[in-house]
Amino acid sequence: MPFAFPRAAGWQAQRRRAFLAGLAPSLLVLLAITLVPAAALLVASLTPLSLTNPAGTFHFRDPLGNYLHLLEDTRFLASVGTQLKLSASSVVLQVGLGLGIALLLHGPSRLLAATRAAFLIPMVLPPIVVALIWKIMYTPDVSPLHRAAEALGLPVSSLIANPDTALGAITVADTWQWFPFTMLMVLAALQMVPESPLEAARLDGANRWQLFRFIVLPHLRPVLVVCALFRLIDSFKAFPLIYVLTNGGPGSITEVTNYYGFIEAFNFSFWGYASAIAVVILTGVFALSWLVTRREWNTNEHR
Amino acid sequence: MNTANPAFQDLDRRHVRAHARPARLAPAWRWPRALRVHGRGIAALALLLVLMFPFLWLVQLAFRPSADIFSDDLLFTPTLASFASLLQGNFPRSFGNSLLVSTLSTVLSLAIGVPAAYALTRWSFRARRQVALWILVTRMAPPIAFTIPFFLAWRWLGLQDTVLGLAIVYLTFNLAIVIWLMQTFFEAVPPALEEAAYIDGCGVWQAFWRVTLPLAAPGLAATAVLCFIFAWNDFFYALILTRTEAITAPVAIVNFLQYEGWEWSRIAAAGTLVMFPVVVFTLLVRKWLVHGLTAGGLKD
Repeated sequence: MPFAFPRAAGWQAQRRRAFLAGLAPSLLVLLAITLVPAAALLVASLTPLSLTNPAGTFHFRDPLGNYLHLLEDTRFLASVGTQLKLSASSVVLQVGLGLGIALLLHGPSRLLAATRAAFLIPMVLPPIVVALIWKIMYTPDVSPLHRAAEALGLPVSSLIANPDTALGAITVADTWQWFPFTMLMVLAALQMVPESPLEAARLDGANRWQLFRFIVLPHLRPVLVVCALFRLIDSFKAFPLIYVLTNGGPGSITEVTNYYGFIEAFNFSFWGYASAIAVVILTGVFALSWLVTRREWNTNEHR
Repeated sequence: MNTANPAFQDLDRRHVRAHARPARLAPAWRWPRALRVHGRGIAALALLLVLMFPFLWLVQLAFRPSADIFSDDLLFTPTLASFASLLQGNFPRSFGNSLLVSTLSTVLSLAIGVPAAYALTRWSFRARRQVALWILVTRMAPPIAFTIPFFLAWRWLGLQDTVLGLAIVYLTFNLAIVIWLMQTFFEAVPPALEEAAYIDGCGVWQAFWRVTLPLAAPGLAATAVLCFIFAWNDFFYALILTRTEAITAPVAIVNFLQYEGWEWSRIAAAGTLVMFPVVVFTLLVRKWLVHGLTAGGLKD
């Protein structure tokens, strides 16, 4: 404390106690609703717990059984592959699109400022409404796109019912939903690009592409990496789009790991096995979060 | 040279640029003036229209007479019939549940999280960094990891399919949001003001209540709005932890899709109603929202 106070030691202790009283409820609640469930999940993943086998609750005879089974479960392995495909393609697309739109919208004009707010809409919409919007776009009899294609004499069958295009259709919807995130972050970062190197380069006759490539882009790189990591982490949670658009199908073409875990837990009630799947996802998410925090790109990390 | 004024700076820059460029031959014809000045703005508007087309299509479907939904004709007489028919079924109840659970979760997470955020801002203790990190990581955790334990525990505790049970589950993400965001707002309040209050005889929490919190009020409002939106937008937890009684509006929409056939205009009307509060809030508190949506990602 920078100020002197009589009985300073007593005051400091009192202050510490007050702060502890403020912090304690949150820590206790967080302990109860995050660490306890995480521990329960880990324990459940070591048991064959299921609806048909309630006795399996505290049954640790084969603790790694679920995990060993995961390695042989082709449906699980395929779901990991689908997850990687979906995550990689949608993250690349939304970071690219977000960057492009941010560059277009960065400027002092009033018109640009007004459109910036409207571009945020897809990100704040309830995910279920986003799913609904794309369900309409992808359903031939009600979709204006399908009708337009038909009018042009090029009828297209439903993209989400076709195994070759279903994952692509979900990628498009996911990109549409999340490009505003990158756009927001890049717009904020663009305001911090220093003016003087740009001036100097202009005086030296650099063209717009060179300005972007050699001055602006290096400044944006850390933000783009953070955007990609954040979106990659969030992409493991993809659920409403898949649930509404394809239900994991056709077959299990669009079944990502998260969705497979959901089916094992709440359609088949294999809770022990589903817990093991959730633990695998959780581990992946933690590894990526660790990458994010390691980059020292967070607020409040400066003290 | 007046460099303090950004408008002048801009003029200067343009001036410099004009001279720096190699002289070009004047083209035989030029773009109309409006297009040259607002070219980027017009391109942005056009792109906006293309990208928001699916969204606008949903909204117009909601107002279209249900006999007319398979037509592309944009000249129709808007009707509220689809909204009116929604009022008859179970939808108003699920909408009410959504309002209730989002409000309850917002109030709970603010009541628990705001003092913690303040303590973390003003009190530097040894494990502070680790605690802050743990709180951030809970935001990242995938819902499926929490749903299985909560599903089993809520069945056992009788909290399944209750508004309270769902509101507690929403604390898993909203508490982290509150603690994380409110720290940035409390940091902006100068500690000297609180010290003045201490000298006048206030305790720590009295000074907080009378001095700091009123100064951080806009941030508090923005945080509350964000918590509300996150709870309102949730689908996954609500799908699994509710059955009939505490069903929320997003789950009700999916039930329409699955059980009520393909009544597109009703479904579109329900979707429009569910997104309405969120879009209104977004436009109202856009500036603060940016803070929250990028929480943890931007150094500010």
